[in-house]
Amino acid sequence: MDSMVRNPDVKQRDAAQAVVVAVSSDAIFTPEVEQVHGATEPLRKGDAFSFMKAIQVVNERLLTLNSDETLLFDVILLSNDSEEKHSRIIASAKHYGLDIGRFCFCNKEDSIESLQSNNVKLFLSTDTNDVCKALQKGVPAALLYHQTDPHHQTEDQLKVVFSGDVIGSSEEMLHGLREQGFTETQLQGFKTAKGSVKEFAILMGEMRRRFGLEGSPLCTGLMTAWSSRDVCASALKTLRGWGLLVDEAFCLAGAPRSPILNLVRPHIICLDGLYHMEGFTAMS
Amino acid sequence: MNLDPVQVMKGQSNPKDPTAAPVTASSNGDGKGAWEEKEEFDQGHLGLTTKPLLVSCQRRARKVEGGIFFPKPENAVTIAVSSRVLFRTETEQKVYEQKGVEEYLRYQVEHENEPFAPGPAFSFVKALEAVNARLRELYPESEELFDIVLVTYNHAHVGVRLINTINHHNLFIERFCMTGGSSPIGYLKAWQTNLYLSADAEKVREALSEGIAAATMFMSNKLTEVSQTQLRVAFDGDAVLFSDESERIFKAQGLDGFFQHERDNEDILLDRGPLKDFLASLGKLQKKFYAKGHRLDCPIRTYLVTARSAASSGIRALKTLRAWGLETDEALFLAGAPKGPMLEKIRPHIYFDDQMFHVEGAAEMGTVAAHVPYGIAQKHPHKKSLNTGK
Repeated sequence: MDSMVRNPDVKQRDAAQAVVVAVSSDAIFTPEVEQVHGATEPLRKGDAFSFMKAIQVVNERLLTLNSDETLLFDVILLSNDSEEKHSRIIASAKHYGLDIGRFCFCNKEDSIESLQSNNVKLFLSTDTNDVCKALQKGVPAALLYHQTDPHHQTEDQLKVVFSGDVIGSSEEMLHGLREQGFTETQLQGFKTAKGSVKEFAILMGEMRRRFGLEGSPLCTGLMTAWSSRDVCASALKTLRGWGLLVDEAFCLAGAPRSPILNLVRPHIICLDGLYHMEGFTAMS
Repeated sequence: MNLDPVQVMKGQSNPKDPTAAPVTASSNGDGKGAWEEKEEFDQGHLGLTTKPLLVSCQRRARKVEGGIFFPKPENAVTIAVSSRVLFRTETEQKVYEQKGVEEYLRYQVEHENEPFAPGPAFSFVKALEAVNARLRELYPESEELFDIVLVTYNHAHVGVRLINTINHHNLFIERFCMTGGSSPIGYLKAWQTNLYLSADAEKVREALSEGIAAATMFMSNKLTEVSQTQLRVAFDGDAVLFSDESERIFKAQGLDGFFQHERDNEDILLDRGPLKDFLASLGKLQKKFYAKGHRLDCPIRTYLVTARSAASSGIRALKTLRAWGLETDEALFLAGAPKGPMLEKIRPHIYFDDQMFHVEGAAEMGTVAAHVPYGIAQKHPHKKSLNTGK
């Protein structure tokens, strides 16, 4: 069972209208190598810290345009840490002024259930394994992209990249993947990714339309990693049908992703759910 | 290192060869290469094991039904083109300039199913593809091919129209970057670009300053017919293949000073110019054809078209090329004569020159010419009245 703690410093969002995302605390605060009992100083910033800052910018801009805006990001911090660390996490969030609505403390085994029971639109983690596992269990999830150089990640614009391979895929393609030897578990990950992306894309489309073409605090992109250009075109049209006109599009046809991603510098990448990728977070 | 190229899925069930380079579980930090291989080739990686599967490296047949593979950027000769040089987009440009970006994008989406007409780089790209076809026949396993990437700072809203156009013209372009307004220069490096062609002189200059061979292309109304089977690339010498050293001398000391300098320095190599490496990469591919007995009918032909004179100043140019281990199939020393008529005879798919005067002169006679905005000539453009020889 989980323990849900509301953050008193943050105005609670209307969870029914907001884009509720759950973020792993290990992504926001660097996990400590050694647990020092009774330590009180704020935790160190984690790999995806700039993501939190970027979310804040989007929320602030949305509220500037409309102070009654309900389509905002609502962040739940998901923590599997021991009880003695709970207050430290809450204090650290306060210290950095993070826009976290709720803290969810639970066991690792109960995480999935917590996500499902809290209307979470997307679970975010810097760990690809966690993301893929969540997808394979039917939980919408995406990767918080970790850059080795944190100073270069944007904090004033939230960048979300969707997978063209997933969105533009056809039944035929799924069949093709099966023939190539992907397990049903992996394919389940792909199917979840495909099934859950629509809702998130619609929300991002709506949010994106609040802003103009230029100077938007939210930037959306499409990346097709291994599929053909026709799949990419199909993905662009599908997204358009859902109300999302992406700003950037990349079709890699199998070329290495890191060099491109290092330039795009996304915060959120929607994966295709197929791989448990070793060393993804170390991607430089 | 696994050199197997990646099969691009066209929504068909293509049997992918499960090859994977061995990857240590603790690949951190510099895990980039290892991770990339694993992602692309580890199709046989089943389930939740932490150790990757070591599968035997079988080379599979390259020509799979309906499937074409695409090389790794570092192995290929990557040509990055912008949408404005690959296709004709003058109408759309006008909409952008007169009515702004929102109207421009709306227009593009409205006309999504109307393919663009071919632009100045189109025939060059088609010729590159013809060479690729020949290379694939002779070396089915090799990744040493031309790889054409569309790099544009257009918004992705134009994406569908661009893809429709690529389909309409039957081009083999599967890779593109639509940066939505951000500078494309970083992406050139990410793609390990060997040559960048754009209509935007600023971008080209930026690319050159980053050490990437680049040239600006212009649409011309007159276009002579070019070969469908042999790629022909022509280069000016100074400030293109070589540095602008001699041009500086010429501008400072006049023709006599230039000749004297060249004589005195005949045995001293000229410094490299921005397109030297591109010529080298063409030469590398040429050698692959020679190795299979195709010297006489090689589908790549290169030309040096220089205002230098054969008997005097040209010698230094040739010596330099030879010392670099490079050669062009033909070297034309015009001794100051206009380049247009000679180019009209050669009919290159593209001609690189650092002086707009020559670029325009070539275009007037129907040659696709690209401007390399490098060196002293950019500060002191050639005056049309002076037709001096070097």
